[in-house]
Amino acid sequence: MKGIVFDIRRGVTKDGPGLRTSVFLKGCPLRCVWCHNPESQSPEIERAVTTDEVCGREMSVEEVMDEVRRDKVFYASSGGGVTITGGEPMMQGDFAFAIAFAAHEDGIHVAIDTSGFAPWAAFERMLPVVDLFLYDLKCMDAKRHRELTGVDNQAILENLRRLDDAGAKTWIRCPLAPGLNDSDEDLAALKAFTSRLSNMAKLEICPYHPLGLEKYVKFGKRILYDNPNPASREDVSRWKSALYGAACFSRQARMDIP
Amino acid sequence: MSYAGRMARLTARKIEQTKEKQARLGARDEDDYGLVLPPESFKVDLPVRDATGQWSGPRSWAANFRWLMENHPCYIDPDDAIAGRWMFMLSRMRLGYQLSRSNFAFDYSHLEPEQKKYDITTGIGKDAHFAPDYQIGLELGWGGLLEKVRSARLGFSAAKNAKSAKENPLNPVNPVKNSSTSPRICVEDNAAEEISYAIGLLDAEEQAIMGVMAWTRHLAAAADDRAMTEDDLERRENLIEMARVCYKIAEAKPETFREVVQWIAVFNMASRTYNRDGAGGQLDELLRPYYERDRAAGILTDEDAEFYVFCLLLNDPHYYQIGGPSADGKDQTSRMSYIILEAANKLKSSCNLTIRVWDGMDRGLFRRGVEVLLANRLGFPRFSGDKALVEGFMKNGYSAELARRRIAVGCNWMSLPGLEYTLNDVVKINIAKVFEVAFEESDTLEELETNYRRHFKAAVEVTAKGIDFHLAHQYLNEPELLLNLLSHGPIEKGKDVSHGGATYYNMAIDGAGLAVVADSFGAIEQRVVKEKAVSFAELKSAVASNFEGEDGERVRKIMDSAGRYGAGGTDADRWAVKLTEILNGEIANHTTPDGFKLIPGWFTWADTLRFGRAVGATPNGRKAGEPISHGANPLPGFRKDGALTAMAAAIASVQPGYGNTAPWQLEVDIGLANDAEAVEKIMALIEGHFNLGGTLVNINVVDAQKIFAAHKDPSKYPDLVVRVTGFTAYFNSLSPAFRELVVKRLIREAV
Repeated sequence: MKGIVFDIRRGVTKDGPGLRTSVFLKGCPLRCVWCHNPESQSPEIERAVTTDEVCGREMSVEEVMDEVRRDKVFYASSGGGVTITGGEPMMQGDFAFAIAFAAHEDGIHVAIDTSGFAPWAAFERMLPVVDLFLYDLKCMDAKRHRELTGVDNQAILENLRRLDDAGAKTWIRCPLAPGLNDSDEDLAALKAFTSRLSNMAKLEICPYHPLGLEKYVKFGKRILYDNPNPASREDVSRWKSALYGAACFSRQARMDIP
Repeated sequence: MSYAGRMARLTARKIEQTKEKQARLGARDEDDYGLVLPPESFKVDLPVRDATGQWSGPRSWAANFRWLMENHPCYIDPDDAIAGRWMFMLSRMRLGYQLSRSNFAFDYSHLEPEQKKYDITTGIGKDAHFAPDYQIGLELGWGGLLEKVRSARLGFSAAKNAKSAKENPLNPVNPVKNSSTSPRICVEDNAAEEISYAIGLLDAEEQAIMGVMAWTRHLAAAADDRAMTEDDLERRENLIEMARVCYKIAEAKPETFREVVQWIAVFNMASRTYNRDGAGGQLDELLRPYYERDRAAGILTDEDAEFYVFCLLLNDPHYYQIGGPSADGKDQTSRMSYIILEAANKLKSSCNLTIRVWDGMDRGLFRRGVEVLLANRLGFPRFSGDKALVEGFMKNGYSAELARRRIAVGCNWMSLPGLEYTLNDVVKINIAKVFEVAFEESDTLEELETNYRRHFKAAVEVTAKGIDFHLAHQYLNEPELLLNLLSHGPIEKGKDVSHGGATYYNMAIDGAGLAVVADSFGAIEQRVVKEKAVSFAELKSAVASNFEGEDGERVRKIMDSAGRYGAGGTDADRWAVKLTEILNGEIANHTTPDGFKLIPGWFTWADTLRFGRAVGATPNGRKAGEPISHGANPLPGFRKDGALTAMAAAIASVQPGYGNTAPWQLEVDIGLANDAEAVEKIMALIEGHFNLGGTLVNINVVDAQKIFAAHKDPSKYPDLVVRVTGFTAYFNSLSPAFRELVVKRLIREAV
């Protein structure tokens, strides 16, 4: 089986526990205004307009696994593994499943980094082969969610509840951008929702940074949120106290800022 | 007296002294060494120099060294627990000294054409670069050493007076059966000559000891004098104690913890003054018995011990190892190991402490070491990989016990303290040059490989002949008067450690330029052979023209963008492994023509610039004269993501594996190192590398912004310490070209 991969990074320290290899699958149904990987959105292989760079290449599961297996010794020493990310990896659901299955068979810890926007069946079949879901919660308000990401959040929230009910271990990741999804109400709603999850092991805040902006130009995409300033220290500390303040999470939750 | 205040003042003074050194001596791409400048009025007037400004032989060295010691200015700092600092390097006072080529009184011009052809760093005339056994000195003291030398001298005098060597029961000429040890010793015909050398050597040793004793007494007197004028009572007490310690250890063996620390410092400073020697030892185990005894006697607190070690580390950045297994395989970590690490942590200055990482280790020490590394960002401690080093050394036919005693005591060095002569880190073959010679003669990849193998073999042969030449003459050129004293054998046998005095001879040969050559081979295989994007002839012409012109640049880009060594699974990765096999094939388990065992490694030291200047353009897209790659490291840009795991795996894959190292030199931005998990992740990275066969990890945790700013204006960051290769140095002591290299090597975490 083959899929379109736009990057494989080894020795990654931020996409799950330990030292990891992140496999980036191309294509995403969301159009988040703050997206810092705009070249990942289209499911097709595409060429930059300002350079001769090509984004995406067709790879077989075995080719991906050859790369993933290279760091097995470091997964073992660090408690790491592979993270299937994107784009939205569920958009290439069969391919993502095949990689997760192969890695699981190899005894490699598997994380999947998802927006949650996919049919429940796609998640359900991942349950036996995925050890950790890195699950994005972007905005609890349905209308704002549509405005900010282009899609509805109903299925996203529902899938998360069902994963939680099924006992799936999750790290919830909240991309927060100043003035977009960080009002007191937004944060209170996020806190209320996540505090009801019983298998959330970690809540991470992913503060907005503008480092993707130049890629919009490079790949000829329209910038939707033209903010050149990264989230400030004050913003982050306000978000932190709003989300982490009370002891409302499950006991095992380790909450920290990435 | 507050130790914290004293430490702060001592550190501040060291920074000031470093600034003065930079102002007077200019940029230096080498270790900090800890020396201070002599008073401007001080004039060196060595008693022995010939018309060309040279001297050689034991007696001349001894006379000059003794003069230097007896006249050496006495540096006393009332905050310091240790008296003295060193100021001169006798070995560099011979006229025409160059770091890259030692003065050598014997003609080896018959070897030079080939040595130059392959840009070989020969090691001929190089001194030190092996480890002493401090325990010999601590057990005997200077007085005991003097007695030992005199008693051996008497034996040789008696032998001389005897009618023949045969009649003499003290016959020093013991043929050694094991060919790997001392193959040169033995012929009875040479007995008279050898006895005469032994007498000269031991006379010289006596002179050297007398010089050190005199200087130590001068230090004591200077501390006493200084005490008279010191108003602060506690400092005054310190100075009086300093004087007492120095008076005592000038002759008697050291007994208390403080006396031991001062003794080690005196030996270090004397040995530095003689010839820059910088090998330390297993410091925790050397100090532990004295620490335990003084603690039990109630005359030492942990704070005292930490401060004394702080002063020792500040005095001189010798290479010390802590932790790791004892000879019988038990963990050596003790309270002393932690005290040393904490003292280093407080040092905030150049330091070369290595933690030996092994399966049975105290993980607390490992963790604390990584914490110190990340918190201080000063490039220490370093980490040594026990498993591969022990297993590798055993492949040379040595026991596990001996292999465990072989420790990390230099840039890339492994050495058996007091037992082994090695020429560590001073014998190197620039394989980029070897490649260049082969490339010019080749028109296909197959031919290139054949020619490379042939020329590499020739390069090793001439290197080995150079080692033999050194071992045959160095004892006459520059005997190791200081290190002989702390070695098992030289005094007893009356032989210099470079000439039959040592127990084992394991001569290091390091390859340099691995990534440049692996990438060149890999790019040819990928772009020329497989993809046919460029023809071999086109490539040759582009390389010959240094990639000049539009076409040259087109070819350069194609070759430069081929898969690199370090990326994982590329042709260049396979070539890097093959180059290691070729290295081992000619060096491992081989001996020199005279029968001295060779051990391979990959290491460039700080010579990437110099080696690069000797090599024209290479097929990996490198232009003529650009630096070659560093040690076993891949070239910067080896992967788009700069993955540390990929780098660690690649460097592990090219370990020669015979007990010498191929270090992993890592510069990492604090992006990775600013959260609690970073410690775990760095530990995992190091352990993963060692599990794959890695031998030594040097990590520079840097704040990239600070390095960039310091590069623009070095004077802004006088305290910025970076690990250059095996050693750490103040960033602003480095030459601009070298600073540029450190900056380029930075790996920034991809966002």
